[in-house]
Amino acid sequence: MTHDRILVVGAGPAGLEAARGAADLGKDVLLVEATDQLGGTPYAHYATLTPYLKDTHEAMGPMVEGVQTHPRIDVRLKTRLVASQGEAGQFVVTLQDDRGNQAQEAVGAVVIATGFRHFDPGRETQLYGYYEFDDVITLVDAEHMMQQGKIVRPSTGLPPERVAFIQCVGSRDRQIGNQWCSKVCCGIASKQSIEIKRMVPEAKVFIFYIDMRMYGFWEDQLYWKAQEEYKVNYVRGIVTEILKKGDKLLMKGEDTTMGRPVELLMDLIILSVGMEPSQGTLDMAQQFHVPRESHGFMATVGEPLDTVTTPVAGVFVAGAAAGPKDIEDSVSMGGAAAVKAVTFLNRLSQQLA
Amino acid sequence: MLSNLYPEVPLQEKQRLFDQVKADPRYESYLYGCYECGICVAACPSARFYDFSPRKITQTMAREDIEMFYEHLNDDIWNCSQCFSCTRCPRQNNPGGLITIMREVAVNNGLKSTKEALAGYTRIIYKIMTTGTQVSPDMLQEDAFPDWGPQVKEVASHLDLWRRALPPETLHTTGLSWQVEERTMLELYTIWKLTGVLDMISELDEGLHDIMEEVMDDALEDQGFTVG
Repeated sequence: MTHDRILVVGAGPAGLEAARGAADLGKDVLLVEATDQLGGTPYAHYATLTPYLKDTHEAMGPMVEGVQTHPRIDVRLKTRLVASQGEAGQFVVTLQDDRGNQAQEAVGAVVIATGFRHFDPGRETQLYGYYEFDDVITLVDAEHMMQQGKIVRPSTGLPPERVAFIQCVGSRDRQIGNQWCSKVCCGIASKQSIEIKRMVPEAKVFIFYIDMRMYGFWEDQLYWKAQEEYKVNYVRGIVTEILKKGDKLLMKGEDTTMGRPVELLMDLIILSVGMEPSQGTLDMAQQFHVPRESHGFMATVGEPLDTVTTPVAGVFVAGAAAGPKDIEDSVSMGGAAAVKAVTFLNRLSQQLA
Repeated sequence: MLSNLYPEVPLQEKQRLFDQVKADPRYESYLYGCYECGICVAACPSARFYDFSPRKITQTMAREDIEMFYEHLNDDIWNCSQCFSCTRCPRQNNPGGLITIMREVAVNNGLKSTKEALAGYTRIIYKIMTTGTQVSPDMLQEDAFPDWGPQVKEVASHLDLWRRALPPETLHTTGLSWQVEERTMLELYTIWKLTGVLDMISELDEGLHDIMEEVMDDALEDQGFTVG
């Protein structure tokens, strides 16, 4: 017997859209989320969304609410999937809530939308002193400040006069083992540079990069805008080292297009940390026996024309669990995964009928 | 940035000159932003022959790097041939135009390096501003153009004859490239004086300025004009 219900694991943009899509197509959906709220990483950690600089909670509010109030969606917060048995059409999963209570649920198909985690800049030797210097922070730390409507030097609590972003921290690096571009960090750094200039107009803001990857409309929506309207300085060259000098940070690198070494004093340095598979993504790959592709994210078959079907029948993936994705891609994949999962169940029922 | 070839010049002075360039009304439409693609350098004839990069000048201005700006102002801007091939820029920057503004600021402020760069052009400035024609046949002397070969001396010694061999009568000139109407010259003098171009020369070469002013004032006065 086929269970006519779809399990969605993870309630970020991809999972929300997958759940909403499958429910709107008439299936019952069980949405499992490990944290205590819907919305995922952007909702929890990002003050505004790229590239339109809209308040995240405002922008995602209708999406979150639509899922919360949908009669066909059963939302389980603070809940993890700890075991899975069975196969397509007849999965039996064990869920465990934060108090340790376990429950078994039967579902016919699964959409994994467990997303990414930010690279930990202290994990590898990058000489950036993230855990050493208060004023070396990550994009996420900056967003947390912006959620409170400010950007300051953590060491003094005062607005910075000189700010530098360092791109590709934990991305595009064979030594670290992350050979991919994380796609969104160029846009997020540019977005934040605009926001910093809006909050502290007299600040000098620099972005040190290897390539600026501002695909599509991000080119003029973010890159040109930051450069032309906000006078953000883009310098091609990656910083090798950050040292403490007085109460400032001394950055050493090469300005490759000007052909000279640079040493600059900064008040605040923001590391543009990239994406890695989240613990949830690794766990779900194991639980559902989905192989991981060469970079460690969840494998799909049929790329580039099918972005959501995994090699395991009845198991689909959406969003950054399958590799670095922006929100547009994640939501698009969520919709695609919903259609694939619903269609899969319908065909399975017809075959068995 | 690690760039300071002119440590003896105070930063405020460099900043003052930079601010003059930036205050030019053309500046805003000459500089948007640079993503360092290098198309301006690829198109630039000067870049093939000199250590000269319209990209670096544009980047320097966009980054507001005051020290580098002052280096360019002294060491680079006169290597530009002002052909504006660089305006192929995909961001619609005008590196050559930025250099035009920088040159004007350099001249207006009588920079030593500018005086040196333009010293060889005194005769040309005198000629074009007093006659409206740039290079006249009698300037083709072997001392001035040693690289033009041994024939220059021979040609120069019979210049009048060579010029009379040319069919158009207006080219039977040695002190001018061609005959210029007096009225045209008077209009030209009026333009130089009213637009401030003549004044620009005073910062560069006071002697040259005074000589040209006298020529212009005398000619205008002879015809009963008072300008300025």
